[in-house]
Amino acid sequence: MKTSVAKLATAVTASAALLGAGHASGEIKIGIAGPQTGPVAQYGEMQFSGARMAIEEINRQGGVMGEELTAVEYDDVCDPKQAVTVANRLVNEGVRFVVGHLCSSSTQPASDIYHDEGVLMITPASTSPGITERGYDLVFRTIGLDSMQGPVAANYLIDQDPERVAVVHDKQQYGEGIATEVRDTLVDAGVEVPIFDGITAGNKDFSSLVTKLKQADVDYVYYGGYHPELGLILRQAERAGLDATFMGPEGVGNKDINSIAGDAAEGLLVTLPPAFEEKPENQDLVEAFEEKGEDPSGPFVLTSYTAVQLIANGIEQAESTDPIEVAGALREGKFETPIGTVEYDEKGDLESFEFIVYEWHSDGTKTPVD
Amino acid sequence: MLDSYFLQQLINGLTIGSAYALIAIGYTMVYGIIGMINFAHGEIYMIGAYTSLIVISGLAALGIAWLPVVLIVALLGAVIVSSSMGWAVERVAYRPVRGRHRLIPLISAIGMSIFLQNYVHLAQGSRNMGFPTLMEGGFTFGDAGSFQTSLSYIQITIFVITLICMAALSVFIARSKTGRACRAVSQDLGMSSLLGINTNRIIATTFVIGAALAAVAGLLLGMYYGSIDPLFGFIAGLKAFTAAVLGGIGSIPGAMLGGLILGVSESMTSGYLSGEYKDVVSFGLLILILLFKPTGLLGKPEVEKI
Repeated sequence: MKTSVAKLATAVTASAALLGAGHASGEIKIGIAGPQTGPVAQYGEMQFSGARMAIEEINRQGGVMGEELTAVEYDDVCDPKQAVTVANRLVNEGVRFVVGHLCSSSTQPASDIYHDEGVLMITPASTSPGITERGYDLVFRTIGLDSMQGPVAANYLIDQDPERVAVVHDKQQYGEGIATEVRDTLVDAGVEVPIFDGITAGNKDFSSLVTKLKQADVDYVYYGGYHPELGLILRQAERAGLDATFMGPEGVGNKDINSIAGDAAEGLLVTLPPAFEEKPENQDLVEAFEEKGEDPSGPFVLTSYTAVQLIANGIEQAESTDPIEVAGALREGKFETPIGTVEYDEKGDLESFEFIVYEWHSDGTKTPVD
Repeated sequence: MLDSYFLQQLINGLTIGSAYALIAIGYTMVYGIIGMINFAHGEIYMIGAYTSLIVISGLAALGIAWLPVVLIVALLGAVIVSSSMGWAVERVAYRPVRGRHRLIPLISAIGMSIFLQNYVHLAQGSRNMGFPTLMEGGFTFGDAGSFQTSLSYIQITIFVITLICMAALSVFIARSKTGRACRAVSQDLGMSSLLGINTNRIIATTFVIGAALAAVAGLLLGMYYGSIDPLFGFIAGLKAFTAAVLGGIGSIPGAMLGGLILGVSESMTSGYLSGEYKDVVSFGLLILILLFKPTGLLGKPEVEKI
């Protein structure tokens, strides 16, 4: 008896929420879904702090169409199974706009549910091209794609006028995807790519690869993959006396590479999203974060802030809280945000998202290269 | 130019191969004596690497940096910890189920492997830990300007320490009383027990010797690679197991030969074909050997035991 009362109460609340969302009920719920615990919780912290700040700022300025935004937060632990549970819960609570998820592997299954239930979703962190390739109208992102990074890296290399560049990858979707983009761009520009080779992630002995690179006498080595393998390659290359500059995507731009590669990490080139918090137009926002004792410099803080802001802008422009109309407004409009001017293509990807080439140092700091 | 390139890949292959051989001995000795595959052996090697890293960091914190001292102390620390671990694993996970159906100790070994992996995961974290650079430099051959073959001090150290270990093990097995008992037990467990050999003690000794050699490999490869993580014992274990089967499981010279062949074939594949096919070739080699010479290169036809 007790349970059925509880169920009834939930059902009533849920339907009230569903009804309420359509009408002017005084609040618009924004779901925030990402990892609050687990191995990548520090990235989730960036997402939550950025989204919360945006909600506070918007409410301080009078909300959206006279209504307040309220945050509904859920932890998906970056686990695809829990992401599905979280997505269902958000739907049941009548949330129609979600900022999330963080990990591509969580975003992908959750987006199926949001699509089926008519919920608009903006991911501030997932870069896998597959997420927006299924023709879902309600899926957007405020971050670039893996396929945008390759050309940036390749064009930088082309500008250095190298004779020979080797391209190596870890045979995984992320690494091989970027490495293939890099190679194609290089070959189109007439740069010789004598080596395009894969390694197995988790391997530790790269002496044969390093020997091969040394014999091919390359000027640059591009590596598509993550930091554990590149760290070892750097170290073993230094020991073998390989005289080439290494470059990698944002998956290698992590302070852990310094503990693996040590001094060999000095001079590594990495493509990363620009430091939005250093832009002059964002300084007020940076101060607001610092007043709250939070750090705005993580890669996903301002992309999450932007995701909330875009939802608010979309609602205002569509003059409706219907996710389909808001999605239409987002596709048509042009928005000024902390990450720059945002325009969407048909798939829900950003028309452009900048990646910048940084030089990595052995103390874990980085400086932009011009 | 091709020659110096070939020579370099050969050196790379022999380095990694001799370390595989050190680990493979643990598999082959245990199989030779009780006919089981100790799947937790790769984890013992991983624990050896972690222990030596902890010892090296500890010595560095105390300000001791003289290389021979660091190496010897790290080696001793790793060998002591890994050997006790090998002994404990045998005592806890294998001895109680010995003599049952063959599958039971096998499952127990897999369980032990998962347990040890996760134990280190919890105790040391899942991130890669970098080894400090202890040895730099080496010899280079060939004309400046073209491709130069280099032989680093750390590679030399790996060869020398492996050779010493192998020689010591061979002498121990051939000459000592315990070694003779080991050979007897591997020929017939029941009979040697009847003849007054403490078989439990001999089996425990086998585990301890295997673990000690794995710990040596852990230190050497940790220094050679540059970083370690809790899962790296699994792949190394798999490769060493392949080496043991390749050379003929149960045969100690076979494990040495198998390790070297595997290391060289891996390095030649990534040197002349592609790194992508490295594992394909080494496991393909295993399948071929098993098809055409099921006992391995130096193995004797199996006599039905138990």
